[in-house]
Amino acid sequence: MSEKIETIVEPIDILEDDEAPAPVAKAGFLPIETNWFDRLFISVVIWVALSLFWFRFIEPLGPSIWISNAIALALAVLIISKG
Amino acid sequence: MQSRKLGWLLLAPTLIVLFLFGVVPFVYVVYVSFHDWNPFAANPDMVFSGANNFRRAVFDAGFLASLGVTVAFVFFAVLSELVIGYALAQAFMKDFPGKAFFRTIHTLPLIMAPIIVGSIWKLMTTPSIGIIPSLLDSWFGYDMNIGQSAATAFVITVIMDIWHWTPLVTLTLIAALVSLPPDPFEQAQIDGANKRQIFWHITLPMIAPAVVATVFIRLMDALRTVDEVLMLTGGGPGSATRYVGVHIFKEVFPRTNYGYGSAVSVIVLYLTIVVCWLLYVSMLAPRNSKKG
Repeated sequence: MSEKIETIVEPIDILEDDEAPAPVAKAGFLPIETNWFDRLFISVVIWVALSLFWFRFIEPLGPSIWISNAIALALAVLIISKG
Repeated sequence: MQSRKLGWLLLAPTLIVLFLFGVVPFVYVVYVSFHDWNPFAANPDMVFSGANNFRRAVFDAGFLASLGVTVAFVFFAVLSELVIGYALAQAFMKDFPGKAFFRTIHTLPLIMAPIIVGSIWKLMTTPSIGIIPSLLDSWFGYDMNIGQSAATAFVITVIMDIWHWTPLVTLTLIAALVSLPPDPFEQAQIDGANKRQIFWHITLPMIAPAVVATVFIRLMDALRTVDEVLMLTGGGPGSATRYVGVHIFKEVFPRTNYGYGSAVSVIVLYLTIVVCWLLYVSMLAPRNSKKG
């Protein structure tokens, strides 16, 4: 019995070594803690909202929807990298 | 590594079902929303139309009006269900004679199909044969007719939704209240806190996740209400109860305008996700520590 106890030289690691790392929360300019997927989601939400707003109020005045898409893309890059 | 593989293997059936019945239909609706498609027309092919269906939706007065009445419907219905559901949950936390009987009876509306609920309320509110107009007439001399009064029709649809879905809120809140530990309440009582303070500072923060989850479920359900309202009022009188679900139904089925109906569905789904996300952020999301 005592031999068995002595053979345990290292603590038993119950965690898997190859487990996926937990999403890294980041403190950017957004008021909530976010990971990269949250920031991608926020970017898509803003893109859709901006597109619908553009269709309703801006496009009838002339500017193309592609300008809205470019703005949304720039915002997405900003939010995902620094949000 | 072995247990990880086993985990994925056990999850696989659920993921496959979710993919087939959740992701694929969603992607298909988004795909259809960018096309003009009437499968019963002379040309039943899908014709790519870019974002024209979305352009049309933001200028569609009928759709925008239906969004307005839907927001009012969801606000009054979900708020009332939450308040009444919490009051009933607190009542069912206490012991009283016949508690088990009442708890069973009060969940009965939950097991009814929405179309049946619509039929029952149609019978109860039809002038000359319904019990509600009859009682209102004999007690208050009020002539109730949901086919003529827009406000009455709206109120009746809200009451019908409250009647149907409050038991769900009650059951989830009972589950949340039962799981609360007694220690904080005893300590608060020792410190001299009154019932109002205990509710706002202990009970509500501790059941907040359950409340938010319940509101999510009810919000999503209420935003896509179709069958009950279609059965009860048919979306009328006028467009008083033409909620977005009813609007989409009428656009897709009688008019067979699948492309435009899909675009409106995608917009409604988007609004639902945004509202739920804002609710989550305002109540549960961890604040950014750098912002203080």
